[in-house]
Amino acid sequence: MTQWSGYLGLILQGALVTIELTLMGSVLALIMAFLAGMGRLSRFFALRALATAYIEFFRGTSIFVQLFFAYFVLPLAGVELTPLQAGVLALGLNVGAYAAEVVRGAVQSIGREQHEACIALNLGRWQGMRHVILPQAFLVMLPTFGNNAIELLKATAVVSLISLADLTFQAQVVRAQTGNTMVPFTTILIIYFILALLISWGVRSLERRMARGLDGVRV
Amino acid sequence: MSATAPIIKIDGISKSFGSFKVLDGLSMQVMPREKLALIGPSGSGKTTILRILMTLERIDGGHIQVDGEQLYHMERNGQLLPAYERHLAKMRQKIGMVFQLFNLFPHKSVIDNVTLAPMLTKGMPRAAAEKRAMDLLEMVGMADKAKAMPAQLSGGQKQRVAIARALALQPKIMLFDEVTSALDPELVEEVLNVLWRLCAETDMTMLLVTHEMGFAHDFADRVLFFDRGKIVEEGKPDEIFRHPKQERTQGFLKKIIAAGHRV
Repeated sequence: MTQWSGYLGLILQGALVTIELTLMGSVLALIMAFLAGMGRLSRFFALRALATAYIEFFRGTSIFVQLFFAYFVLPLAGVELTPLQAGVLALGLNVGAYAAEVVRGAVQSIGREQHEACIALNLGRWQGMRHVILPQAFLVMLPTFGNNAIELLKATAVVSLISLADLTFQAQVVRAQTGNTMVPFTTILIIYFILALLISWGVRSLERRMARGLDGVRV
Repeated sequence: MSATAPIIKIDGISKSFGSFKVLDGLSMQVMPREKLALIGPSGSGKTTILRILMTLERIDGGHIQVDGEQLYHMERNGQLLPAYERHLAKMRQKIGMVFQLFNLFPHKSVIDNVTLAPMLTKGMPRAAAEKRAMDLLEMVGMADKAKAMPAQLSGGQKQRVAIARALALQPKIMLFDEVTSALDPELVEEVLNVLWRLCAETDMTMLLVTHEMGFAHDFADRVLFFDRGKIVEEGKPDEIFRHPKQERTQGFLKKIIAAGHRV
């Protein structure tokens, strides 16, 4: 009889690492999404070009390769990263590139009449963006941000390849030590699924809260 | 003739959208405190004039003076140069606009719609901005809805809030772009009543693009009839509505009356 409780502890430790990676990666992705998304809408060619280059590059190359590059190639250039730092960097930059297009699309979806109201009220470009356009656009972004966050959660599994002890890594450890494949992988499948459900649920309730009043029904 | 200078002086402006020339060498003047009605068929350029004055559209040629200063140009060493954004921002302080579709900010409550611009553009403290907002909402009869969200309001109520929002910046000139056109007939009156109040209680210059001919007749000091980017006829409301001289004016008014508008 295998001592499953000890192995379960191992897997839960992995879950914590996965959650940590997901949270930190999401924060970086969110920052990059707004920087690059707003960059693409900039009046200045250089900013637009920079943002476009970032988005196309990180969408157009594999996240495996990006992660390996961050962990194995950057040290050759003198930048030493811990596995966690390399993981957050690769995940955040990769998912941020997708989310940047979400930011751009959402900002562009806000009608011209809102921009015109801003001009008529003499708000500056940034004031209008900050107080009028972005708050409305954010609501448009939220559902797709939820998708992006789940993508990021699932992509965290790649960090097991650079020996970071996340869920997938720990499942492999358990499998190696017990010879059992079904139990550890079924367990982490369920844990990934529960984490994804939590994200969905969190984003949906945030969406509901922010949409309050916009449809005329005051809750 | 009064000796005061016009508050708006439009001098030979032209504006094209693609190959369509909306305005072609248009000139007109507006005196301080004057209430001006701009009427005419759609596409005649009357709304474009308001949008140009609000700097929502740029002109292709000509000059505009507002309150003694160039709108789209800056005077530097005796030369007229295209205006910077900062100059435009300064000029916009003199002008307010109310839109056909209200353009309220849907994510902000009624009072926040009104206080936003004074707080951001004039650095007014929240308490002072809210006090003024409540006074203005009181004037447009919307004080009891201060905490409501725009989506909870009727079209007429939204438009009255939009008027209060524009007034909060205390412009010298107010532009009203078909402010009742999007409203159900029974809601038109409440908005027009607010305009009457503004007329009685303030000394703002008001430019009104409208299809409410009866209102234009009673309200305006002067009526301009536009067609194809030109002023075809202008004069006192009685002259324009009762005794139009130009054939095109007569034709337009006939069509409007046939459509059931009171003159």
